[in-house]
Amino acid sequence: MRPHEQAQPPQDYFRYVNVDAGWVDRRIFWDEAIYERELEAIFARCWQFVAHDSQIPNAGDFVTTYLGEDGVIVSRHTDGKVYVYLNACPHRGNKICFADEGNARRFTCNYHGWAFSTAGELTGLPSEREAYDAGDIDKAAWGPRRARVETYKGMIFATFDPDAPGLEEYLGDYRWYLDAFLDNDEGGIEFLPGTIKSYANANWKFGVENFIGDAYHAWWTHDSGGRAMMGGPFPAYDPKDTYHASVNGHGWEFALEGFGDIAILGSQEVIDYYAALKPKIAARLGELRARLFGSLASAAMFPNMTFLPGIHTFRMWLPRGPRKLELRVWTVVPKNAPQSVKQAINIGCNMTFNPAGTLEMDDGENWEGNTRTNRGWVSRHEKLHYGCGKSRQIEHPELPGIVHEGQFNDANQRLFYQRWADLMNAKSWSDVPQRYAPRYAGRPTR
Amino acid sequence: MPAETHALLSIDQHLALTQTLYREARLLDEERYADWLELLADDVHYRMPLTARRFRADRSAALAEGPGYVFDDDKGRLGLRVQRLESGLVWAEDPRNRVRRIVSNVEIYRAETDGEATVHSVIEVHRSRIDAQQRRLTAGRTDLWRLEGGSWRLVQRLIQFDHPVVIDSNLNVFF
Ligand code: FES
Ligand SMILES: [Fe+2]
Repeated sequence: MRPHEQAQPPQDYFRYVNVDAGWVDRRIFWDEAIYERELEAIFARCWQFVAHDSQIPNAGDFVTTYLGEDGVIVSRHTDGKVYVYLNACPHRGNKICFADEGNARRFTCNYHGWAFSTAGELTGLPSEREAYDAGDIDKAAWGPRRARVETYKGMIFATFDPDAPGLEEYLGDYRWYLDAFLDNDEGGIEFLPGTIKSYANANWKFGVENFIGDAYHAWWTHDSGGRAMMGGPFPAYDPKDTYHASVNGHGWEFALEGFGDIAILGSQEVIDYYAALKPKIAARLGELRARLFGSLASAAMFPNMTFLPGIHTFRMWLPRGPRKLELRVWTVVPKNAPQSVKQAINIGCNMTFNPAGTLEMDDGENWEGNTRTNRGWVSRHEKLHYGCGKSRQIEHPELPGIVHEGQFNDANQRLFYQRWADLMNAKSWSDVPQRYAPRYAGRPTR
Repeated sequence: MPAETHALLSIDQHLALTQTLYREARLLDEERYADWLELLADDVHYRMPLTARRFRADRSAALAEGPGYVFDDDKGRLGLRVQRLESGLVWAEDPRNRVRRIVSNVEIYRAETDGEATVHSVIEVHRSRIDAQQRRLTAGRTDLWRLEGGSWRLVQRLIQFDHPVVIDSNLNVFF
């Protein structure tokens, strides 16, 4: 069965998620059957980040990653285009490429030596004339399955679903927020080389929902790291001029004040760099987004891409079963920044947000705890409270998306799980309800 | 990293440095971080670079070794880490985890500069975590130590972590 020919879902997933009452059923973090449906209804369907242009600039450059549990090769072909295809040989199914990254002219399967171009075409079979008769194999039809590939401002996304809306429609008005991170300067961003990977025994959704809007945890979980990095506790929380914004399940929570995130990097040089850049950001993106960028914020694109705008850490939460995730982390820098600023951002990122970071170190254990307690049958059948800030939805003249006031809020999480249930219920993309009319449909956001 | 030499130290110096390595491991196991910082030279450079699995034949450098590090610390940043650990607010270490470091395969050679030594070693870090979970992390280390006022101080440490994917949800430990 092809991803776009899915069976009717066996149940209504809104029995696990109640957006109005503000609760989530704990079984969605444990149950194998629900996880299997996620692989089908979410990861075989949604656009997911696979690489940034700057990571694979040359022909033959490649990285290997995953869409759900489907391993894929992401490579730049000699035609300059990026192709994404299953990292699984169509002969007997062995993995085609066991390297994490690098440069290759072709990929050759270890088992019988079938060879594939960097565009994912089957180009050669050893002993072809001795082994195969005419008509045995049509090589053009037997390359590994290719995904659709689209980019947004250097970010490369892929999906295996031919019926998925285009990337721009999938992102919707979330582009308005993304531009504050990807396009606040004419050079855009680049990814520094090097991927830090780690496992946690936690459900992937806990990582994502933490970044989509859990400002609340920072004051408690990160007290130790916050004091070490900032010389004191996190500044008092200000409910005024702080927001949750959600579009199609993508979320951004933020303040509109100062250099909260940027300051955590601990480099005066980086603060000065952005202070000088601020008027240019305002001219480019407007006053509001200039205030938004670099304030205390965190963001997630549905289903599993997250970043901290201003701290410049960028990460993917790859599912590895209902109770395990693989976290991949990169540092993002402004492409036009001087080398010393890039270096300072990188040091600040490594110091704060990786598995040995003074802030990140305190997170993983929580998500493992959230997941592991569901082993208990009674615990698993309880609900979790997601009711914070239910009544704080507002209409904002400038901020697009479904907007709630107050950075301490569960709004983005509730709307993430609403999107989750919408997709879990849908037989195809045409069944996915439009819950927000975009302001910028068909129009650029910058 | 210091050039490879094979000249040995005097037996006394060798012994003193070996003891220092073991003592360092015990100080960390016992969470005596302030004492550990004392073992570090003021110009210490402590780093754990990233690793990626690449094909042997792959000569492209673009993605090979980036500026990415799990640790890339000077004494100031190590001090901040210690400050965090000693804040009494690190919930993941409360109740405390039992950590045991095993240091072995120690090779000590005279370095180019007088009074400095290159030290290769292997470290195995056993962490006994929540609900009796066990984590066993291994790494190779290449160090430069310097004699200062009669005792050995760590000047450089390059940690070659053996896990392409960190097999723990945090690295709340020093190597
Ligand atoms: S399984 Fe790949 S060549 Fe046979
Ligand atoms: Fe956190």
